[in-house]
Amino acid sequence: MKLLVVEDDTTTSTYIARGLREEGHTVDVVADGRDGLVQATTGAYDVLILDRMLPELDGLTLLKTLRGAGNKTPVLLLTAMGAVEDRIDGLNAGADDYLVKPFAFGELSARVNALARRPQALEQETTLRAGDLTMDLISRRVTRAGQEIDLLPREFALLEHLLRRRGRVQTRTMLLEAVWDISFDPMTNVVETHISRLRAKVDRPFDTELIQTVRGAGYRIDA
Amino acid sequence: MKARLAGLWRSMPLRLALLLVLLFATVSLLSLAGSYAVTQRSFEQAIRADLAQDMAGFRAAPSAGALARLVEAESRATDPNRLILSYIGPDGRIYGNGAIARDDEGYHIVSLGAARTQYTGVYLTLTDTLYGGLLTIARSRAEITALREVFVNILLVSLMPTVLIALSGGLILARRSKRHVEVIRGTLDRLTTGDLAARVTPGPRWSDDLSRIGEAVNQMARAQETSVAALRQVSLDIAHDLKTPIQRVSVHLDDLARAQEERSDPSEPLARARAELDGIAAIFQALLQLAQVESGDARAHFAPVDLVALCRTISELFEPAAAEQGKTLVCDLPQNPVTVSGDRTLIGQMLANLIENALRHTGDAARVTVSLQQTEEAVQLSVADDGPGIPVEDRKRVLQRLYRLDRSRGTAGHGLGLALVDGVAKLHGAALNLYDNNPGLRVVVRFHV
Repeated sequence: MKLLVVEDDTTTSTYIARGLREEGHTVDVVADGRDGLVQATTGAYDVLILDRMLPELDGLTLLKTLRGAGNKTPVLLLTAMGAVEDRIDGLNAGADDYLVKPFAFGELSARVNALARRPQALEQETTLRAGDLTMDLISRRVTRAGQEIDLLPREFALLEHLLRRRGRVQTRTMLLEAVWDISFDPMTNVVETHISRLRAKVDRPFDTELIQTVRGAGYRIDA
Repeated sequence: MKARLAGLWRSMPLRLALLLVLLFATVSLLSLAGSYAVTQRSFEQAIRADLAQDMAGFRAAPSAGALARLVEAESRATDPNRLILSYIGPDGRIYGNGAIARDDEGYHIVSLGAARTQYTGVYLTLTDTLYGGLLTIARSRAEITALREVFVNILLVSLMPTVLIALSGGLILARRSKRHVEVIRGTLDRLTTGDLAARVTPGPRWSDDLSRIGEAVNQMARAQETSVAALRQVSLDIAHDLKTPIQRVSVHLDDLARAQEERSDPSEPLARARAELDGIAAIFQALLQLAQVESGDARAHFAPVDLVALCRTISELFEPAAAEQGKTLVCDLPQNPVTVSGDRTLIGQMLANLIENALRHTGDAARVTVSLQQTEEAVQLSVADDGPGIPVEDRKRVLQRLYRLDRSRGTAGHGLGLALVDGVAKLHGAALNLYDNNPGLRVVVRFHV
């Protein structure tokens, strides 16, 4: 993917750019809002990673200008402010997702990947498959290697979310937002315990692990 | 002096006093004038009746000669200043104590004595033709004239002192209220210059409305003082609670440098430093959120929130974590939705903090209950546990930022959880109370419907 990072703090931008390049993306970096706007309108990018506080032109204004001009490139907004209002401001200005500093690179990477693939996530499927696991979305039955697995509604939703995004890392916060509709991060490892319960039903009785832990980032189903 | 007078003139009590004086004077003048007019008319009527009676007396005389003699006799006995009699006989002779002449200026009454002096005074006259002659009787209006003087005297004696007293009273009141206003202004000045302890002390003779303004100023000052104190406290707390973890990060980095020199495993100091930094970020995030919640801005986008669904979601979210610690998390929720107006995320976080607290500060096999009760006027959300509870004397303090019971120092958490719960409750106008659960702690948030 071709990505643009607009961030004035060089330590952060270097860190982000290096990490994304290691994942095989092409990354351009600019350090102020005006250059960011020029670069974003002229280059064809898959995702913009935009800091909210920038010299010359702040991130929100840049974003509004871009959207006003009809540019629909997905934007991930980075901010030091994490309160609900700021989140709403950012999303109202046209951001597609929002990440509060300080963040882990895994979180950023997972969210960038989710943004880039967002349009494809709309496809209508009735059966999801991964390896020998099958999920029937209509009868709401899950079988693995011909064996039926009993799941609670939330476990079903969690597994469905991971299956629909096969091969892509889903972080704790992404799962909290998607499965529980919660936009705060509790201090307790609630997602981990849900995942381990799901694993106990989906993975433990079988030979291979479908749900993988990606260190420092989240979970992924790869098969 | 001139400026002070001008200041007084613009003061409310003086203006009120002047207005009242003006009103009172107008009413008094009108009523005096009315009674003067009535009295005057009745006096005149009495004089006219006297005149008619006099005339009837003279008409009783049998002839012109007898009438002339009667007039002459009466005239000698009367004071011309009071009563003038004049009879012009059929022969043209004038009898009596005066003659009535007429010229361009009107009627004149002239004495019949040698001096022919002219009487001044104002008279009421009655003229009739008797035995071919003309009889004129004139009675003085001096009494009526005197009446006017009496009324003017009444006016001077009663109205003037009233006006003077009211005016000086108004001035005194104006000066006093100016002094009271000065007290309030002085307090505001001190507040503006940063002395947030300044308060208005209303005197015993202050008017109700001024006292109320003073109280409002005090209330504002108290709120200001509290928020500034809170801000100062937060700065101190941040300085204190963040310095310690930053110090620890620095230690872990030293360890890391040593590990590199000694070529030993760097992963442990690295993980510790990272965990420490996560903690710092969490404290910052919590403090920022607390500040935002306390500012009340979130009220702008309050929407109906179904507490039953929210409680179910959050409890369900924490249930496996509780089970993993060997604890039980149960719900006691009504079947039907219970809706309050609020911010779903903040109420959710409040509930999460309460559940986390309950799980964190209770022993093994503890039981945590999330329940919701709806009554006519309130919705009561409670989280109860059977742990050690919080002593009564500490219940207020645990709501403060970064306050932690001594026995909790060793557990995870940054001491902001309950402060946020308190802030979210206040934001929603809900009452937060901590009760003894015998044993354990029961936290109750009462939303008003």
